Amino acid sequence: MRKYFSGVVILALLTMLVTACSGDAGNSAAPSDASSSGSSQTTGDQPKDGGNLIIGVQADPVILNPNYAGDRVSLTIDQALYAPLFQVNNGKKTFYLADSLEPSADNLTYTLKLKSGLTWHDGEKLTADDVVFTIDKILDEKQNSMLRGNFIIHGKPIKAVKVDDTTVEFKLPQVSPAFEATLVQVTPIPKHIFEHEADIEKSPKNNTPVGSGPFKFKEYKTGEYVTLERFDNYFGGKPHLDTITYRISKDANASNLALQNGEINIKYVDPQDAATIEATGNFEMKNYSEGRLAYMLFNENSDTGLMKNKEVRQGLSYALNREELIQVAYTSPDYADPAKSFVTPDGLYHDNNVTTYDNDVEKAKELLQKNGVVGKTLRFIVTSGNKAQEAIALYVQQKLKDVGVNVEIQSMDASAFSDKFTNPETSDYELTVGGYIMGFDPDAYSILYTTGSDSNYAHYSNPEVDKLFQEGAGEADTAKRGEIYKKLQETIAADAVIYPIAYTKTIVAVDKKFGGLDEAVLKPVVIFEDPSKLYQK
Amino acid sequence: MKRLIVRRLLQTVPMLFFVSIVCFILVKAAPGDPVRSFITPNMHAEDIERVRHNLGLDKPAYIQYFIWLKNCLTGNFGYSLVNHKPVMGQILERLPATAGLMGSAIALAVILAIPLGLVAGANRNRWVDKLVNMIAYIGISLPLFWLAILLMYFFSIKMHWLPSMGMRTIGVNSALDVIRHGILPCVVLAIGFLTVYVRYIRSSTISQLKEDYVQIQYAFGSAKRIILFRHVLKHVVLPVITLVGMSMGDLVAGAIVTETVFSWPGIGSLGMTAVRGMDYPVIMGITLFSSVLLILGNLLADILYGIVDPRIKTTR
Repeated sequence: MRKYFSGVVILALLTMLVTACSGDAGNSAAPSDASSSGSSQTTGDQPKDGGNLIIGVQADPVILNPNYAGDRVSLTIDQALYAPLFQVNNGKKTFYLADSLEPSADNLTYTLKLKSGLTWHDGEKLTADDVVFTIDKILDEKQNSMLRGNFIIHGKPIKAVKVDDTTVEFKLPQVSPAFEATLVQVTPIPKHIFEHEADIEKSPKNNTPVGSGPFKFKEYKTGEYVTLERFDNYFGGKPHLDTITYRISKDANASNLALQNGEINIKYVDPQDAATIEATGNFEMKNYSEGRLAYMLFNENSDTGLMKNKEVRQGLSYALNREELIQVAYTSPDYADPAKSFVTPDGLYHDNNVTTYDNDVEKAKELLQKNGVVGKTLRFIVTSGNKAQEAIALYVQQKLKDVGVNVEIQSMDASAFSDKFTNPETSDYELTVGGYIMGFDPDAYSILYTTGSDSNYAHYSNPEVDKLFQEGAGEADTAKRGEIYKKLQETIAADAVIYPIAYTKTIVAVDKKFGGLDEAVLKPVVIFEDPSKLYQK
Repeated sequence: MKRLIVRRLLQTVPMLFFVSIVCFILVKAAPGDPVRSFITPNMHAEDIERVRHNLGLDKPAYIQYFIWLKNCLTGNFGYSLVNHKPVMGQILERLPATAGLMGSAIALAVILAIPLGLVAGANRNRWVDKLVNMIAYIGISLPLFWLAILLMYFFSIKMHWLPSMGMRTIGVNSALDVIRHGILPCVVLAIGFLTVYVRYIRSSTISQLKEDYVQIQYAFGSAKRIILFRHVLKHVVLPVITLVGMSMGDLVAGAIVTETVFSWPGIGSLGMTAVRGMDYPVIMGITLFSSVLLILGNLLADILYGIVDPRIKTTR
């Protein structure tokens, strides 16, 4: 009798819990401080001033100084706090602080003109001095800026020289068409603030940043949020929103709930959660290309030596089907475009019409049989908990089993994985999944595919590829340069150095209360290129 | 009593030393490299080496340890390898959030656990006991992150009674606002503590009820309620003191899971970030800080023991 009783209580408790979570949305009687529950659809498309936007981010910003920011959150906040010189979208330049950028006839000098009347958030003038100061500090070895490598061409630094208050000349040691891509990453920092700091990275002045962007720093509560407020003297016109707050929430499930509760207005969502969020009808779901390639890597350093053989790599590729892989890893073709070239679609000279080894089981069997891979076991390393990686590994395991090759999946934590992945000595695995975002200039890819480079994770070596990358880096003629990179894309694809899977997309959920998304330009990593254009409807 | 305190305080020194060594070895033995958080694929090998050198990470591990130890003795707990802010500053900045949350959770748990445990113990194997036991079992078995999400879904999303995340409404600085934000995480944590406390108090009540003094009270015809709350209670509180003393470490170490789910800006989430980034100065700082508190908490528990139960004082 007593046992029976406790059974009933457990049941009662469980039903309580279950009804608690299946309760209908109808009883949302008093939305106390949750501001957004019933988004009123007054589509007054005229931008309105005022309003506060909350963007969900996954972590505290590491450092709000563009010379050091490398993490997503810092980069995202810096985009609103500091204005860039210019940005590039689909090969077209949009100028921000800069007015123009012109190369000289010999392509060894670039002249940058700044807009006139620019100011920092504290009212000081922003001039050529600040730009030169920023470049000097990037180049200063004592300052640990991670951008330094980009300003060194074949061991020689690029020099920045002030001509007058709004003009800077960049002197290159040799012709480098990739220079514009380098300059895109530069965001001036204020000289008058950091001039006398011995170690800018450790300076407490980074805690109250002074920028030049549409929003200025207001408040940072560690572990909670960063709030920026409108900068009325922004050169691009007064921003519409009063404030933007970046709210820190590390747990994906909890922050998805907060999004639905109106405590967050904009955040990244995983493909797996997109449908649930969309079903609420309160959000506009924006998918856009991240300029990122997700690929399967063949480790040519593996101690079995199998991956060094081009035919083995081709054979393994033949066993797979790209569309299926995308379905498995990203749940829908909406969230990833099939990839064939190692250059992402936003990159210059991108060409997806290259050789591909795909979806031909007979050819796979033939090539693998011929090279003695059938019956062998390949080791596939993945980061445990990374859903896309795990799904890809399981799919590949299944597909290769069909052609007689065993795959042993080794799951490890993130730091162990990145140790193995980046250490050039690692020889105890054959397959893994990687991804990269390299920017729009194809010269950036040379570090991934040239012989002996630190970031050549596949350990691929082909003298022809090395030569082509070198030619491409120094070729000023656009047509000739295009030919070189087309050839490179074909060579690397034909050699099956990697198995390109997809150009992945970012999904951002935006509360329908907010508009101006197209004008603000959705951008990989930082979400919006120019947040001054966002407004509350 | 004074001698006891001094002796115990002296004992903490080698203990902390030992803790710091073990912690350092564990961090260094784990896979991963703190320099990785600085490097981008575009960095050249010499740049990476330069960063490593500037951070002092190119020296042998034991030298790194002694440098760290030397700095600690001069009150400098180092800088985070990731964001370069002083470690002690970061811990102290987050301490109020964690201490407030954990303190109120422990207090709530104790306040609820004492009557529940007493009543359950006094009614052993009766339905009240069964019910309390069962709730305790469910509480122990429930994954707290799941319970947290469930409560959040019900009280924030469905009913709109409480905010779901953070410690404050943006831009608002009032104690009431912080309390509103703290209710859900506090309840979740309290359930975690409560279930353990209740079990202790229940068994201690059962054993006390067999003692002679209780039998005598019964013989004198005292009411059960009076025996329980006037006499047994005093003895039952003893294990609670130990338990709370042992929870002192948690007061500063924070609750990683609960803090993460509720975006509570405490030391737990700081610690998790540090572990992910192999940020050893921060990891060491948090470990040492919570070890000190744990040791002090135990000491405090011993002293309180002496006050509550004079028999213990004389035996030492």
